[in-house]
Parts: sequence; structure tokens; C-alpha cells
Amino acid sequence: MSTKQQVKLIITVSVLVGLISNLVRSDAISWVAEPIKVVKNVNDVLLTLSEPEIREIDLGMAKSLHKKGLLFVDARAEEYLSDGMIPDAIANDDVGLLSEQIEYLIGYEKGFVIYCSDDDCGSSEELAYELQDFGYMNIFVFKGGWKSWTNAGLEIEIHD
Amino acid sequence: MQAWKLKYMIKLHPWLIVLIRILLGIIFIYASYDKILDPGKFARDIANYHIIPMGFENLIALIIPWLELFIGIGLVAGLMVDGASMISGGLMALFILFIFQATLRGFNIECGCGLKEGEMVGWNKILENLVFLGASYLVWHRQQKLFELFPKTPLSD
Repeated sequence: MSTKQQVKLIITVSVLVGLISNLVRSDAISWVAEPIKVVKNVNDVLLTLSEPEIREIDLGMAKSLHKKGLLFVDARAEEYLSDGMIPDAIANDDVGLLSEQIEYLIGYEKGFVIYCSDDDCGSSEELAYELQDFGYMNIFVFKGGWKSWTNAGLEIEIHD
Repeated sequence: MQAWKLKYMIKLHPWLIVLIRILLGIIFIYASYDKILDPGKFARDIANYHIIPMGFENLIALIIPWLELFIGIGLVAGLMVDGASMISGGLMALFILFIFQATLRGFNIECGCGLKEGEMVGWNKILENLVFLGASYLVWHRQQKLFELFPKTPLSD
């Protein structure tokens, strides 16, 4: 069997097993990723949802929700928190403890906002999916996060 | 003395390659495990690189982990080692490109490599993958085919 034939066989088997396994598993993912829905209207945030959702918000919406007193969760790693946080935001590297904290503060139904360092960080979205698995219904990912918040000159809170 | 050393090195060399081959295989199997269990997370890790168009990260996340598993098994068990080491080298080159562009663009993202939870992209990861790329090359260009079950060649033991 030539190297080329081996490569073709390994790739073909991997593609088939990968696709078939997604057809039979209970936690299958869509074949093509769908972008997260963007929330433009503040009233949509306050709706009670029947299905758990993760939605995206921009800086303007984040400002409005912060004013309305929604809980903000900082998804950045602990070493970045000394730079400061959005006022009243909470953070914990241990997602189990973080979940307990959120449950204690607002319960599972109310919406809350997660942010990380910037547009490209990804950890806010990652944390959103992890918390959704804990049963949280209404999660907002603040695109732009810490960078856009500080660039806009908005208030921050520095902890010792 | 020098001649003895040289002879010893030449004898040792093929066994060293077998060891490298098996270690590389174990690394691939280990790296595939979490990705197979949670392709959704792997897809999001890929998406964070901002390089895959049209949402194809999900398809990639469904296929790459199985590819890693099969080449890992191939390298450990000595099955289709030529093909497995060639794909392993290709994957490593691809991973290096992904991490390199993310590092240059200043992305502060998890690499999604599957070896350790929360590992970020950066020069360390590039160096690590260069070592794996070198290992793949050594296995692919091995002189003797020791402990290889399939395909059997005149060179196999």
C-alpha cells in the first residue's frame, strides 16, 4: 500500500467516522456554525425565555444593561483582573464557584452579561456555553469587552 | 572507541525513532480525546482564530479529532505509519500557521490544542508544535521499519 493510498484511507475513515458520530450523538452540533444572535432592543433582554439562549450585545447595549443593574461577569483570567473590572462585575476562574455565585445573586432565569478582554478573546463565549450547561437561561456576550469599555472611557473598578 | 560509538549510535537510532513514533502517537490520541467528547468547544476554539470562513469550523471540529485519533493509533500500533506520519506533519504545519497568525495578530485566545486545559496561543505553542513537526519528519524518513504491523514491507521487522 503506497503512502498516498494510506493518506487517502486515513482521511476518508476520519471524515466518515466524524460525520457519522455527529449523526448518532445526543449532543450533536450543526454542520455549519451559526453566528450568535445580536440583541439590538433593550426590551428583548428583559423577556423571559422558554429555551436557554446565548446572545451578543455591543458596547451601547452593554452600557444600557449596566445602567439597568444587570449582573456583569468577567471571563478574563485572574492575572488580568488587576487592571480593573467593569463596576460590580464578578469573576472566578472556578466555573462551579462562579455558577454558585450567579445563582445566589440572580438565580437561573434572569439575564446577565459576560465579557472578556476584546473582540477576539473568545473566553466570554466559552464561559457562556459552560454556564448554559449549568442551567442559566439568558446569557449575553458583550462583544468588544474590556477593551471597548475602557476605550470608551467608561467607569472601571480596581480591586486591591 | 569512536567506531564502537558510531556503530552503537546507528543501532540505537531506529529504536529511538520507534520511541519517538510511539510518543507522538500517544500525544495525538491524548489530544483527540477531549475534542471528540466535546466538538462544540473545539469548534469555538477554532472560530476564535478568525480564519475559517462561512462557519466551516463545525465540520473541521468534527473531523480533525478523529483524524488525530486514527493517526495516533497508527503511530502507536505501527499501522500505515508512512501515511500517519505524513498527515501528522501536515497537521502540525497547519497548527503552526494557525497559532502563528493568531500570535502575530495579538489574539489572547486558547489554542484548542487538546493537551492542557486553558493553554493560550503564543511562541511557546509554536515551538512545541515545531518539535512535533520535527518528530513527524523523523518518523516519515525512518530508515528501518521496526514494529510495524501493516503494511508489511521487506524493511519491516
